Amino acid sequence: MGPVWRDRAEKRLRSLALAAGVLLAGAAAAATPRAPDVDALLARIDDLYRSKGSVARLEITVVSPRTTRTMRLAAWTRGEEQVLVVVEAPPREAGTATLRDGDNLWNWLPRIARTIRVPPSMMLGSWMGTDFTNDDLVKESSLRKDFQAKVERRSEAPPGWWIGLTAKPGVVGRWARIELLVGDDDLPIEERHFDRKGRLARTMRFDEVRTMGGRRIPSHMALVPEGTEGKRTEMRYLEVRFDAEVPADTFSLANLERSR
Amino acid sequence: MTGSTLRLAWRNLWRNRRRTTLAVTAIGLSVVLVLAYDSVLRAYGDWMTETVTGPMLGHVQVHAPEWRKDRSMDRTLRDVTATLSALRRDPEVTDATARVYAPALAAVGEEGFAVVVVGVDPAAETHPMGLLAGAPALPAGRSVLVGRLLAEQMGLRVGDSLAVVGQGADGSLANDLYRVAGLVDTSVDFVNRQGVLMALGEAQTLFAMGDEAHELVVRGRDPARAGELASHLSALPALRGLEVLDWRTLSPEMVGLIELVGVAWLFVLVLVLVAAAAGVANTMLMSTHERTHELGMLLALGARPGRIVRMVVVEALMLGLVGALAGTGVGVALVAATHRTGVDYAALTGGGPQELSFGGLRWSLRLYPTLAVEDVLRVVAAVGLTSLVAAAWPAARVARLQPSKALRG
Repeated sequence: MGPVWRDRAEKRLRSLALAAGVLLAGAAAAATPRAPDVDALLARIDDLYRSKGSVARLEITVVSPRTTRTMRLAAWTRGEEQVLVVVEAPPREAGTATLRDGDNLWNWLPRIARTIRVPPSMMLGSWMGTDFTNDDLVKESSLRKDFQAKVERRSEAPPGWWIGLTAKPGVVGRWARIELLVGDDDLPIEERHFDRKGRLARTMRFDEVRTMGGRRIPSHMALVPEGTEGKRTEMRYLEVRFDAEVPADTFSLANLERSR
Repeated sequence: MTGSTLRLAWRNLWRNRRRTTLAVTAIGLSVVLVLAYDSVLRAYGDWMTETVTGPMLGHVQVHAPEWRKDRSMDRTLRDVTATLSALRRDPEVTDATARVYAPALAAVGEEGFAVVVVGVDPAAETHPMGLLAGAPALPAGRSVLVGRLLAEQMGLRVGDSLAVVGQGADGSLANDLYRVAGLVDTSVDFVNRQGVLMALGEAQTLFAMGDEAHELVVRGRDPARAGELASHLSALPALRGLEVLDWRTLSPEMVGLIELVGVAWLFVLVLVLVAAAAGVANTMLMSTHERTHELGMLLALGARPGRIVRMVVVEALMLGLVGALAGTGVGVALVAATHRTGVDYAALTGGGPQELSFGGLRWSLRLYPTLAVEDVLRVVAAVGLTSLVAAAWPAARVARLQPSKALRG
């Protein structure tokens, strides 16, 4: 092999190193991700569990310092206005149903064969003994529409971004501020709700990301209210179908009262 | 002080009948006023204590720790039957009863209303200070009494079937149907507005509670001694680890009001002091001035100035006390006349509301004036003291009297 060849080889090596360097630099740039597009992100999170129609089965566990109770539920939704939830287990409560149509909320109680509309004054009351309120079922809170959002800081573990959401002036709602941790996979990890007095009222954690009904979603959520030691409500999707055709008459009082 | 001084003073006092009568009347009237005011204040204090400790609070309450903070259904008192009988055996306790409180949704038709189910022992709550005083009977079985305002709001009638939905102490769904046996009108606002009352046992069944309750209401003999009762009871083995509080601790804002009433008499007492001081000082100044010549004569005849000063002071004291006694007589008679039937404040204010609502309680506007011996003694003593002080000026004048000048003047 002559010196010319060696020279060529050297050149090739050098350009290789250069290419590697460029590549490495690129990788390094990728490791410090740029802040996400908040608007698109919130739109995505707002719509994460929404579709024109869905059918799901869920399990809800209510944990309190002295008791733990698990319910299995079937749920139907249509658009953003209509929800029907029917308790499947335990047997004592089976058949109990909640129907939401717009701002109205009814409970069907098979034991006494009565349908009762939940009054506005009880919207902040517990829904079916969980830490969720009736209001959580009825409200159409949209993070994007109701809040002013700003990326606040980077979270390292888990990797993601903290987004601060401040209620827009004139929006009447329970939360004055929400802090949302969104992972780098654009899925929510934690949501902290602050009341109108600026106090942390509750924390919702999302985990067990799974592909269900064709979407990658956190399939498990834990809602931890502040102020009551040892209380929390966990909710797990057992199965879910998004973009399902749900007939409109599913959400009628007549259907609610029909023995299911 | 000799009898002659007293006799002399008395005679001097009535030398100018009209002036003395006027002074006595002024002092007497102000005493009547003060006594009337005192008696109303006392009635007011008793009435407040009675209304506050009345049907809702009792003298002492027992709860599971933390229950008062969040009223969580599952923070219950256990073995209630045994605890109650231990309480009822206690010599300091005149009355003890258990209650269950549960927020719920109630409906006659489809419209739900936010209510509070109150589980009570009908037998223990029908006495005059109980929650069911004057209420229609609560039959056994699945029947309820409903607060009148709630019933009006719900458009509910006696005999209706009422659905009650809530959450059991174990977190389960509680729901059942009850017959409305009657409407209740208590002095407790929230019972009238939100109360659905049912028998303790029914409430325990509905809310999946065993021999449990949320509250024990205990009464002793005297609400003023509720603090001692509470500390006595908290030492009982049956109440170990529970929160035992007297009504003053449970309702501090009301205690503040009642205590305010307790010192209000001071302001009115100033009134009688001013009246007595003015009446006595004026009368005595006038009478000593008129008698300058006579007093100078007495001094010239060898009477010691001390004796004359003493006479003036005794006159002043007599004047004050006669007024005070006359006033006390009229005042006590007035209070005695109104004590039994009470004074209807609603009528006095010109047919206003028959009762008023404050602090979550309804207050009847009929007061029962009452006087204690100390009220009377206080006024008489105050008038006496004021008369003595008011006598100082005329007495000082008399003491400085020169016989020669006085005789000439």
